[in-house]
Amino acid sequence: MRILLVGMSHKSASVEIRERYAVDEVGPILAKLTDLDEIDEAVAISTCNRVEIVVSTRQMEAARHTLYQCFHADLGGGASLPDGSHLDDHVYEYFDQDAVTHVFRVASSIDSMVVGEPQILGQMKDAYRDARETGSCGPLLSRLYQRAFATAKRVKNETLVARRPVSVARVAVELARQIFEDLQTKQALMIGAGEMIEASLFALRRQGLGGCRVANRTRSNASELAARFGADAHGLGDLDQLLSDSDIVLSCIGSTEFILDADRLSQAMAERRRRPIFLIDMGVPRNIDPDVDSLENVYLYDIDDLQQVAQSNEAERQRESQDAERIVLEEQERFVGWMVALQSVPTIQHLRARAESIRISELERSLSRMDLDESERDHVDGLTRSIVNKLLHPPLSRLKAQTDREEGLAVLEEARALFALDDETAPGSEVDEVYRGDESERALKETLASLDGEEPE
Amino acid sequence: MTWFLQASAAVYLASGLGALLGLLLPSARLLRGATSGLALGAVLQGLVFATLHERSPVPSLTDLPQIIAFMVWISAIGLVVLNFRFRLGGLVAVMGPVAFLAVFVSGLNWGGNSPPISGGSLPHIHILLSSSGLGLLGICGLVGFFYLLEHRRLKRKRPVSRRFQWPSLEALDQVGIVCLVIGFTLLSLGLLTGAAWVRDSQGQLWTGSSHAMWTLVAWLIYAGLLGLRILGRQGARQAAATAVGGFLFLLFAVLGVGAFQ
Repeated sequence: MRILLVGMSHKSASVEIRERYAVDEVGPILAKLTDLDEIDEAVAISTCNRVEIVVSTRQMEAARHTLYQCFHADLGGGASLPDGSHLDDHVYEYFDQDAVTHVFRVASSIDSMVVGEPQILGQMKDAYRDARETGSCGPLLSRLYQRAFATAKRVKNETLVARRPVSVARVAVELARQIFEDLQTKQALMIGAGEMIEASLFALRRQGLGGCRVANRTRSNASELAARFGADAHGLGDLDQLLSDSDIVLSCIGSTEFILDADRLSQAMAERRRRPIFLIDMGVPRNIDPDVDSLENVYLYDIDDLQQVAQSNEAERQRESQDAERIVLEEQERFVGWMVALQSVPTIQHLRARAESIRISELERSLSRMDLDESERDHVDGLTRSIVNKLLHPPLSRLKAQTDREEGLAVLEEARALFALDDETAPGSEVDEVYRGDESERALKETLASLDGEEPE
Repeated sequence: MTWFLQASAAVYLASGLGALLGLLLPSARLLRGATSGLALGAVLQGLVFATLHERSPVPSLTDLPQIIAFMVWISAIGLVVLNFRFRLGGLVAVMGPVAFLAVFVSGLNWGGNSPPISGGSLPHIHILLSSSGLGLLGICGLVGFFYLLEHRRLKRKRPVSRRFQWPSLEALDQVGIVCLVIGFTLLSLGLLTGAAWVRDSQGQLWTGSSHAMWTLVAWLIYAGLLGLRILGRQGARQAAATAVGGFLFLLFAVLGVGAFQ
């Protein structure tokens, strides 16, 4: 059994292309794929940044063709691309260990547009759950995704990839936490009622912000936003009164003049007994006079400062992702080792069964022409058995030895080709039924259970 | 050096190195372990003080190295107690090595013959109270120093650094206030008992010695700092700067002048 991944992401296709292939519901596509002979299991993920299908298959070339067809017809609706390019130009494919590595990288958010963003892991968990509910996710892909989630957890815990905030709102909250020990006892003042203010307010509320007031030129807009977050609404005329007991001030309002200047802040600082105040100016043009930053115990960050911190964090995340890559590689080697072990067991059993089938049929044919008593028959039987065992011993030993090596999968493939295990016309192939269809599924589950040290279901 | 003294020195050093490693990795677990290490070091050092009377000759607490060791012991206890409320694990990276040095140096002079001090228990009370005050004002200066560093970083718009799990500005300021109030009270009591001791031994409250004069100036600095904080006339940044300057001055006044004499 092999793993194939076909997909497109922000790295291979523009948003105009990606949005043509993104779908809300992947269930019907998964059901359709797994109805086909060439695909045993399938998981699909469709987000704004990536559309990917992972399958396990015994017929790689046919599965590959099917997935390209699926992208073209089922996901893309058979339409041609707007810029005259071809689907092949935007789709990537990964096989076996490369596919495993890719899935682990995606889950760990190393492959994301914003490295370390946490949403992708949740989206992958949703995709896995959908596949389980559809019944398209079998033991191999289940194991793959469980290991992917474990890898993502390791990356999160052992590296700083996910710890550095990269959105402006989250940077602002992170800075607030470096100034104030406990946000639950702090009051925030939001000047404006736009999207940036809303995103920041949401981020601050999630961190347990104590109280909040929204001040806006149009009071009805302030009331609407304030009502959603359990805050108080004010007009801009209340600013002086609000400033004296506000610890965090976020401003993003359309204005050609400064809303807050140094004189106003000096007065507010005296009233608040010089307790530190954190000002975040997200307005363009700026809402807060930059001279305010020279006041004692006043920390002013404008949108450029926040962007600079966010970009620096992004660069730091990229550097940290090297550690994450190491973890992904470790986990990939572990998974591939497990996969090789998984596949070596049925291959070895298959090879033994083939050899035994040939031995028995040849033995019966020869014995029918000879006049031998019982003890002589037993002797010949033992002789043929011994010859087969001695012939099989070196290749089987080699196969077992390869199970903990990365090239183990290739060796297994070679062994199957060399002994014509997938050739239905080869001598002894009448035993192959055991290794196909429902029997195969049962054998795989037994093997999985034996590898995990569990009883089969 | 007694076994307890050796053990406390080793544990202090290990906790300092552990905290440094915890900051660099970064590892919250390592920082918690380092804080526990500092607490263990303080317990072991406490056993040293508790068993002083069993030594022969009994080391005098009035020796300068012993005073410093006691001061550091109070600081270590203070830091461990305050860590229950604030995230101060990172400060163990400084406190651990300082405590190690103090204990190690005091151990070198272990059993040295100090001249007996007259005045009954007053000199010991004076030294214990003053050293305790000095220890807590030392933490006040230490957190003030780190407050200034953090303030500078935030003002310069340096990137958010999660690598160093450092306390927030507010936490550093609150620790500074707590240590200032308790430390100043203990120092004041130390000065009063010192004056009483001088009156008993020399018949007058004020001798005009350089030690007394400089210590009084340092006390006035802290009195001013505390007054300004209470009145809300001084912000956290200025208070941090004053705490650093005040502690350096106090060190010179209490220990430096004493050492020269």
